Amino acid sequence: MSSVNESAGVKLAMSAPTIDLHEIQATVLRQRPAPYFGTHVLLRVDSARSGRAFLRRVIPHVDSASDWWNASDPWLSVGISYAGLEALGLPQDSLQSFPEAFREGMAARARQLGDEGANDPMNWDLPYGKSEIHIGVSAFSGSEEQRRHILGVARAQLEGFSGVSVLAMQDFGAQPGDRNSLGYKDGIDQPAVEGSGADPLPGQGRPIKTGEFILGYPGEGGVLLPMPQPDILGRNGTYVGFRKYQTRVGSFNRFLQAHGRTEEERELLAAKLVGRWRSGAPLVLAPDVDNPALGADPQRNNDFNYSNDARGRQAPSGCHIRRMNPRDAQLTRLTDVNLHRLIRRGTTYGPPYDPNAVSEADDEVPRGAIFLFISAKAMATIEFLQQEWINDGNFMGLGDERDPIIGLQEEGATFTIPRDPVRRRVHGIETFNVLRGGEYFFMPSLSALKWLADAEN
Amino acid sequence: MPTQAQKAAPEQNPIVQQKIQRLQELYADAPELGKVALEKGLPDLARELTAATGVQSAGRVGARQGKVSELTGILPIAKGGAKRLRGLLQALEGNFRGADRVGTLHDMRFVFLDNDTRLLFATAYDGEWDAYIDDFVTKIPNSLDLLFCNIEGWPGIHSPSIKDWLVKHQITAEAWYVASPNLTVAETRRLEHVGKAVDEFLEKVG
Repeated sequence: MSSVNESAGVKLAMSAPTIDLHEIQATVLRQRPAPYFGTHVLLRVDSARSGRAFLRRVIPHVDSASDWWNASDPWLSVGISYAGLEALGLPQDSLQSFPEAFREGMAARARQLGDEGANDPMNWDLPYGKSEIHIGVSAFSGSEEQRRHILGVARAQLEGFSGVSVLAMQDFGAQPGDRNSLGYKDGIDQPAVEGSGADPLPGQGRPIKTGEFILGYPGEGGVLLPMPQPDILGRNGTYVGFRKYQTRVGSFNRFLQAHGRTEEERELLAAKLVGRWRSGAPLVLAPDVDNPALGADPQRNNDFNYSNDARGRQAPSGCHIRRMNPRDAQLTRLTDVNLHRLIRRGTTYGPPYDPNAVSEADDEVPRGAIFLFISAKAMATIEFLQQEWINDGNFMGLGDERDPIIGLQEEGATFTIPRDPVRRRVHGIETFNVLRGGEYFFMPSLSALKWLADAEN
Repeated sequence: MPTQAQKAAPEQNPIVQQKIQRLQELYADAPELGKVALEKGLPDLARELTAATGVQSAGRVGARQGKVSELTGILPIAKGGAKRLRGLLQALEGNFRGADRVGTLHDMRFVFLDNDTRLLFATAYDGEWDAYIDDFVTKIPNSLDLLFCNIEGWPGIHSPSIKDWLVKHQITAEAWYVASPNLTVAETRRLEHVGKAVDEFLEKVG
């Protein structure tokens, strides 16, 4: 079977899906709409009975990934933290079958994640880091009107409950032109998931084994990952690393202005940090000037590798996208780049990026991005990325340099831009995105949600 | 922040004095030449004790100085394993291409102990190894199985219990010295490259 579908404005060549799409939550495979509008609702379960009753009411509105490419309707996704599974009264042997990092929760893993200094859980916004967040419901839609509609549906499920409390609600949505909080088009490069039904887009690479992203299937190592028990609870589920960043737009703009004399120089520097122009056009394909048409074309804007840019003269070795997906770039350590991929759903919140915001007060405007990092081994992968590819440079032969966009920068941090005849080393790089909260969620299958809702303990 | 005690001369530093007293007690029953060596060496030793900075942990097991970690294990050799392993190591003549590819191994040593019944394996490496264990599984499974199949109880590189097996056999070194604790293998290779380029440049202009 072969056909063409359109998802979030992207034309996809299709083959027959070979995985249980009707069981997997839609958000695992479905891209945000373009533009997108939504809300994250964080809930606390005060009694197991109420928590299960809430799940029963919300389940009919949680989309499966059947027809995930069709995103014309708004949909909900549901994640449950370890504290949430405890609050729902999951039996001990089942609780113990979850991985250690998930059981501890994201705040307790700060050491392994390198979440220290400005990113320390002590500095997080409420209600994060207190083991109080039990259920996360995310509503995604393609318009403000639909967002209000689906949120109304979610709220209606909470009516008349005393045992489930709303801790926080965070609206999110694409900025004008589908940009993020630093003014870049984002979310372009995602891993292709084997068996999902969509053929890889140009440049997306070969499909990654399903088991890397969804429990119950073989991963890249050829074996099944350990799954939460019983089987009905674990199968077709996955994990979500939920991380809330606040963007320090003032610092970012001051940095660009300090190191670029003209608008052109500043935009080139901004592109060098990410590896793409703000339009989304990759530097490897548009090294000297922006090409907005290229940035906007999903068939072309990811269709590249680093074979002709081994030294990073176009896209610097330490730029954000080359760190997050090194593709065929030569690394100093023996690494299988297909083992460290995440599906990510970036959700931007707050006012749009303002290129003229340069004050310290601008750094404190609530504006940034909440990421849902989805993988069957999300905890291990996020810890790996934080330790190796984000807050270190050794894997690319860059010494102590860190990711210029999401790294936690130390005093005197630098960013190296390879050039002929000599490289340019930019000083004064700061932490442009500060972590303000996070949690690990288990994103159960539809059957597992029903099992959790019905469990009699 | 340096405390008053650390700033003081070694002979006045109470922590150093305590350490020296402890060493004198320990060496009270040492052979005569050991006692003499301690007394003669005291001024040098006092200076070293003053500069002591402490060793970090390399993760679950092992010690680290700066960016360089140590891994030491004494492994039981399987029946017939000594002959095979010795044959393999001799055939390689020290050319460990697999280790080159790993890119973080500073050195490795294989020492047969106790009449070929146990193997001392010791290595210095950068960072943490267990973050990359899955990469070893998909990238160099054969190299590792070829070496370690000669060890009693090796579960095979594809076994999910591989990390626990390795940790079980690891012994944290009591002392760990690294001359250049901030030089990773990658950084060393880069500096070699830079040094050569500088020399070539100087040849041309000189």
